[in-house]
This record gives sequence, C-alpha cells and structure tokens, in this order.
Amino acid sequence: MKLIKTLANCCLAFITVIAVCVIIAFVYYHYFVKDITTGTNYIDNQIGLDIKKADDLTDEEKDEFEERYFIEANFYSNAKNNGIALQEMKLNYFTDYQLMSTGYRSTGMQFLGDLKQEDLRLVETTEEQANRDEPQNFTYYDTTNGINWDGGKLRTQLNRETAFVISIDGKPYQIQLDKTYDWTTYSRQWYTLWIWNKPTKHIIYYNYLNVFADCMQAIRSNSAGYGDYYITVDLSEYFTIRAFDSDSGKYKTDDVTDIIKSYSVLKFHYDENGARNSTQSMFKCIDCNPKYDISDEQIDTTYWQERMTYTLNDTSKLNGAEMFAYRYSEVYDGYFLSLSMVGKKLFADMPRAKVNIMLDLNSEYLAAKKIKVVGLDYNAFDGLEIDTLTIKSNSPVTFYLLEKSLNDTQLKTLKHSGGIVLDGLQGAVNNEYSEVVI
Amino acid sequence: MKKVITMLILYLLSFVIIVVAVFCGIRLYKEIKAESYINGSIDISNRFTQESFNYSSTSAVFYHDLYDDTDTYSFEKDLLKVENFDGAKKTYQVILNDYVLLNTEINAGSVFATVDMDFYDTSGNIINSAVMKISVKFLSNKTTLTLATTGKENASFLEQYFADNGIRLRIMEIL
Repeated sequence: MKLIKTLANCCLAFITVIAVCVIIAFVYYHYFVKDITTGTNYIDNQIGLDIKKADDLTDEEKDEFEERYFIEANFYSNAKNNGIALQEMKLNYFTDYQLMSTGYRSTGMQFLGDLKQEDLRLVETTEEQANRDEPQNFTYYDTTNGINWDGGKLRTQLNRETAFVISIDGKPYQIQLDKTYDWTTYSRQWYTLWIWNKPTKHIIYYNYLNVFADCMQAIRSNSAGYGDYYITVDLSEYFTIRAFDSDSGKYKTDDVTDIIKSYSVLKFHYDENGARNSTQSMFKCIDCNPKYDISDEQIDTTYWQERMTYTLNDTSKLNGAEMFAYRYSEVYDGYFLSLSMVGKKLFADMPRAKVNIMLDLNSEYLAAKKIKVVGLDYNAFDGLEIDTLTIKSNSPVTFYLLEKSLNDTQLKTLKHSGGIVLDGLQGAVNNEYSEVVI
Repeated sequence: MKKVITMLILYLLSFVIIVVAVFCGIRLYKEIKAESYINGSIDISNRFTQESFNYSSTSAVFYHDLYDDTDTYSFEKDLLKVENFDGAKKTYQVILNDYVLLNTEINAGSVFATVDMDFYDTSGNIINSAVMKISVKFLSNKTTLTLATTGKENASFLEQYFADNGIRLRIMEIL
C-alpha cells in the first residue's frame, strides 16, 4: 500500500514537473518568441454557388446575378444643388451556409443628407445598449430578391448582434460588426495621494453608423471622382470573420493569428447631382416613400405601351449594309425598291418597332449611285408594320406599286407629292389607310 | 495533522498546475501550429476599364440646368474608360434595350444616335412622342454618356420608360 502511495506521489510530482515545463514553454513562446502570423480575408462578389457562369447568363440575369458585392453604396452629393443629398449603403449576404441564390438577402440603410465623419460624436454607451440599438436618423430596408424592398420591424436589424453569412472563395464565413475602440486615461484622485494616477478604461462600441460614415468618406475621397466605381476597403477595424467548420457545424473564431485583415470590395455610385426621385434610390424608396419626387410640377406619365420609331430612307444602313435593296427592271427602265433581307431580319426581331419610310426619288444619294426608283417591288415590305410611307418627287412621275408590295403592313398614312401618280395601289395594300398629298 | 495539511496543499497546487498546464498546452499547440493564411481573393483590376461599352441601370433621371434656356433635360454619366474603341477603323452597332439603333453617327472616339419613342394610352392614341439624343464620348481617362431630350414632359415619359424597363445601352463591335 505504501509502495503504491509512493509511486502515485512520484507520478504526480513527475506530471507536475512536466506541467510546469509546459507552462514555462507557453510563457516563453507566447511572450518572448516574436513570430507573427497574419490572416487575410478577401471578400469579393457574393454570387450563389448555383449561379451559372457569366457567359451563360442573359443580360437581365447578369444585372441581377453577376455583381453582388458585400457592400454597395449610392451617394448623391447634390453638388449641383438640383435635388437632395442622399446616402445609401446596403450589405449583400446569404441567410445560410449553403450559399445558394435562394438564400440571398440584402439589408440597407439610407440617410437623407450629407453625413460626414466629423459630424460623428463618439459616445460611450453600455455594451447591452450598443449591441441592441441601431443608429438613429436612418431609414432601413430589406430584400430577398433585390427588387422589392421593405422596412419596418420585420427586417434584419443592423446592430452589433447581427451576424451575416458571406461567401469567401465559395466557402461560408460569418461576419459580424463586434469590434471596439478602447483607450485608457489616467487621473489623480484624492485617495491616490498624488502618488499614482488612477487608470480609467474607455470603450466605444462600433456600430453601423461608423461603417456607414467611413464608406461615404471612402467614396467622397476616391480618386476617380463622380461615377460608378469599385474600391477595396479595409473592414478589419470593425468586423470579425469566422470560418465555418463543416464537421462541427460551427463558425469558429480565429483567436490565434496575430494580425487579421479583412478587405472587401465596395461598389458605389457617386453622383454630382442631388437625388430627385425614388427611382434613384437603391431601395426604390426615399424616406419610406416609393413615390418620392421633389419636382414642383408632376406630369402624369401613365401609358399603355411604348414603341420605338424608325424612319428609313435611302441612306439608312445597318452595320454598313443598306436597308433598301434595288432590282432593275428593263420593262420599266428603272429600279424597284424593297426592304433588304438585313432589314427584314432586324425588324422581325423587334416586333414593337414602328417604321416610317421616306422615299425621295430625287435624292442626291440615289442620283450619285445612278439609281432611278420607279416603284416598290413585289412583297417589298410584306409583314413589316409601317406607320407612314412618304414618297417625294420634284417632277411628275408614275410610281408603280407591284403586287402585295405593302401587304400586311397595316399602313396608316400614305403621303406623296402632288406630281406622283400611284399605279397599282389596289393590289399593293390590303388594309385601309389615309392618303395625304404634300 | 500538519503533514496532512501540507500534503493537501501540495496536491491542490499540483492539480492547479496541471489544469493550467493543460490550457497552456492547448494554447501553445495552437500558437505553434498557427500559420499565416489567405482566404479568397479580390480581382477588380478589370473594373477600371471595359473592353466594350456597356451601360445598364434600373433608372435614368433627366436634370434641367437652371441656367440653360434651351429647355434641355439631360442625364449625364461618367463611366469607365473603354479600351480600343476606334470608330474610324471598326464597325459598331448601337443597341438600346434590345432595339438596334439605325442612322447612328460613329466617329473615331464618339457615338451619337437619336431615338424616337412614342407612348400610347390604353385607347391606342399617342400621348407623347419623345426624341432622345444619345451621346457617348470615349475619352482617355473615362467614357461620358449623355442622354438628352427637350421639354419636361418628354423627360418625364422617358424617365417612366426607363424606370419600367431599365436601361441597357451597348455599343458592340461587328467583327
């Protein structure tokens, strides 16, 4: 029994000695070895892992999916004094670690005015208050699809307790505004007997007001000036980034690396003008009003449909190819005009286009090419919707409209000079139209 | 009794040292094993210039200069520099919201185009006909885009159109 007790005491003493060695090793390594490790996080585009490559996206899809940076900002400086100063910032993130586009979410804050860093007063608050409260005098918005924004209580709160999931190199990370700025002041007290100064620690808990003001300052001081640009900002002062450990399902804080830097792309629009209406806001709302407009005179712009109007003449070209084709007829001793294949294909792809045709039989262009147009060819404009066809000539002439040359064109108005006699009109058009002599 | 108390204190001290050593050991292992790392990358080098002109936005707002007596309303934008634009040697096509623009004036370093747009009410009548001039200038350090129209009513209808449909303006080289 005594032997066992002695052995146990020896083991304990041995383990204690080893423990002391470990402690000494730790103290030595921690305080005297000056090796430095650095961790760098680069926060780039926040694109869902399920989004196809950019080349496979349509233009509309590219607008929605291709660019989605963690921080985006909109700054109407009103330097021209033609609207109101407006500052906006939104954070794009995911709601879960799967990083799919279905988990997209954005939360933003809006300030009416020009908030500058020097306007900020660093106020000491309790930790609880700092964690819970959002900056005052801002309007907040939330969206899941980037189109429909809403505010109110049911949106994501932008306070220190909020942690977002972001994508770095296609892997999930958590980012949280939780850092502080602290300093110590020393003051003499009566009880310190003028022997030593009593230290007092001050802590400022950063909030999104600080981030917002710094982003606006970064935009204001960008070297390119007004426009749409990208810069990289250092978020290390404010945010902590935690990597997702898929084995444990936890976001783990890096408490070992000596220096951790976190950089993010800031995409912004910086405008010399002031904001005039809510369409200029990245939230499509100003001061929670989607119809915000400071124009003194409102114009009712309600419409059913818009149509782009094209006026084609003998000089009209597409990619260097003429829009009109000419076929020579020995019988009529002149050329019959029709819409070229390039033109037919172009307008077939643009069904909302409205076309006017202007033919000047004495134009310099036709004269230079020695083309004497005597009429419209068979099926010249078949199927092309024409609003107005104008035919001009300085001298009396017969203009031949061959069969179905204006069939299915829904021609509305046919204008021609008084000296022009139209031949074959009945077989050329299959709808009612108004004829105007000019 | 004194010996027992001494032994107890020694045991307690050993226990505390071992517990502290466990924490120190874990920490020491982490610190020794720690390495510098880089997560992700940022590449915005291609965000300072663009290969071809491409502008898209969800809206356009036309401003009227108070000192301008021509009733012109314009939307001006400074954009990224476009590399290798040469209207004198190459052929380009201008496309606005899927509409190919004809009769464009393409110069060595600039593009001008005119857009005529009619707006209809629910009865099919034209309630506004707006003419918008597009000007794109390719400068050495940036590209400037200007959309201009005459009259507040035309500007308002065009603003409504762009708010409804967005604006996608492309100048594509035809190879």
